[in-house]
Amino acid sequence: MRTDPPATPIRQSRPFGGTTAFLWTEVLVQAHESLAMATSMVTQTVLLVFVYILNPGLIGVALIGAVLFSAFTLGQRVLNEAAYIRIDHKANDLYLAGPMTPEGYFLGIAGGILVVYFAPIALLGTLAVLVAHLSLTTSLALLGLAGLVWLFAASIGYIFSTFFRDNRAIWAYASLFFNVFGVLPPVFYPLGFFPVALRPVALLMPPSAAAALLQSQIGATTLSTGQTELALFGLIAETVLVFLCAIYWARRTVRGP
Amino acid sequence: MSVEPLWSENLRKTYTVKGMPPVEALAGVSMNVHPGERVALLGRNGAGKTTFLRIASTLLRPSSGQIRVFGHDVSEHPERARPYIAVVPQEGKPFFHLPPREMIYTYLRARGLSRETSQSRTEEAIERMGLAEFADRLCITLSGGQRQRTMVATVIATQAPLLFLDEPTIGMDPFARREVWASLRDLTAKGSTILLTTHYLDEAEALSHRLYIVERGQVIVSGTSDDLKRSVGGTLKVSLPQGATEVESFRSFGEVVADGESLTIIVHPERLGELMELAVRRRLTATVGPVTLEEAFLRVVGRKIDED
Repeated sequence: MRTDPPATPIRQSRPFGGTTAFLWTEVLVQAHESLAMATSMVTQTVLLVFVYILNPGLIGVALIGAVLFSAFTLGQRVLNEAAYIRIDHKANDLYLAGPMTPEGYFLGIAGGILVVYFAPIALLGTLAVLVAHLSLTTSLALLGLAGLVWLFAASIGYIFSTFFRDNRAIWAYASLFFNVFGVLPPVFYPLGFFPVALRPVALLMPPSAAAALLQSQIGATTLSTGQTELALFGLIAETVLVFLCAIYWARRTVRGP
Repeated sequence: MSVEPLWSENLRKTYTVKGMPPVEALAGVSMNVHPGERVALLGRNGAGKTTFLRIASTLLRPSSGQIRVFGHDVSEHPERARPYIAVVPQEGKPFFHLPPREMIYTYLRARGLSRETSQSRTEEAIERMGLAEFADRLCITLSGGQRQRTMVATVIATQAPLLFLDEPTIGMDPFARREVWASLRDLTAKGSTILLTTHYLDEAEALSHRLYIVERGQVIVSGTSDDLKRSVGGTLKVSLPQGATEVESFRSFGEVVADGESLTIIVHPERLGELMELAVRRRLTATVGPVTLEEAFLRVVGRKIDED
């Protein structure tokens, strides 16, 4: 037995430590399911076909909605993956009982999934730019708002993943949440089609808030100043809040919820 | 402040689930693991071993008591203890869609090691653990034992100052288990400290400097495996296949256990000659062997169960 201190260099945990490396791990893991990249577009494609058949004039709005919906449903993949790693592999214990930070672990999963599924979303985005004739400013706004929606959904997905003990329960509930909040509100169609009384609710829900802001940019929806502020600042505030909650929760749940 | 790799004092953990009576998993565990030691935590299923390991490895909050890793309070500041540790979780599995080589390398990178160090330690761990043959095959195609070797190799490659291994060799063949043992001995020779749980008593005996036996959340015995064997009243075991009818004649030599027609007696070496003379006088066939750790474990834990 030795009594002197171990020679192994010790790295202290630093904020977000391990994010890039674990993100890359997730990319390698996810990339083996290449078919999933195609199937991740099925719902959006079906809805786009419906919109095109029923009202071709709305296809630009629907394409913008499809980009936002895609960003939103990445949260479901984060939920599934985080729960799978924890429940089936217990790999969360392997990673979290060490210098890697819990927030790095959460962002690694979320970022890895974003990287792998970015290509089909970029394709939809390109189509939206071309079909809806988006200006550079609106295109950048689409990118930024889709990013906020992704961060919101990924944070919610990670938090939800910690509540499940069985993957079967996740199959039942996860898709319900993300599909209902991604499809029912005015994401694929203009806000003007939504009941007037419920519009403030739609403007507070991240996917439809982002959609309404972009719809107003291309003239498909008219927003009052108050509505624009509600949608924009609501989206930013909710995203920041949920993201901070996810970081807090990631740290807290290392030792159980 | 203690700067031992692991130190705990009166550690308690009670699980509470709504609508169910509370379950006391740890009822005051005190433990001290010294630098470079390999210590085994033994006990029946549900005795509290994994609960202790999870608390020590910062994955579970204790209900009360103190626990420190290299002097850092695990309860209050787990983030300070984490850079010192690595853990093989019970029933943990590597990512199925990564080959062992990528699994180990990416894990080391996630722990903050440089590319060069991660690369060299990955190759070292693959070589050391006999993974070369399947190091580039996806883990999903590997057998259960090969996956477990990958998990152990992943953690061993960290060369962390304190390693927690929860049933590290489960599902492995005897050759693979010995490769793991050799790797763990190498690690401690380099200065790491290891706390492991196992149900393989030969493993505990071959590998650990000291062991703790936990029963119903309490440490009932601690010491070396020889200490444990001595605690059951002797280090030799005499088996008399036809001796069950002679229980009373042999009782004075030590602990006797009748099982069907046979009788087993635990005896000190100095009284062996006397016992054998009696067996010959009674025309009984006798075989003599060392008390195994498993036998000592069964007796110690059995006594505790009887007392309770």
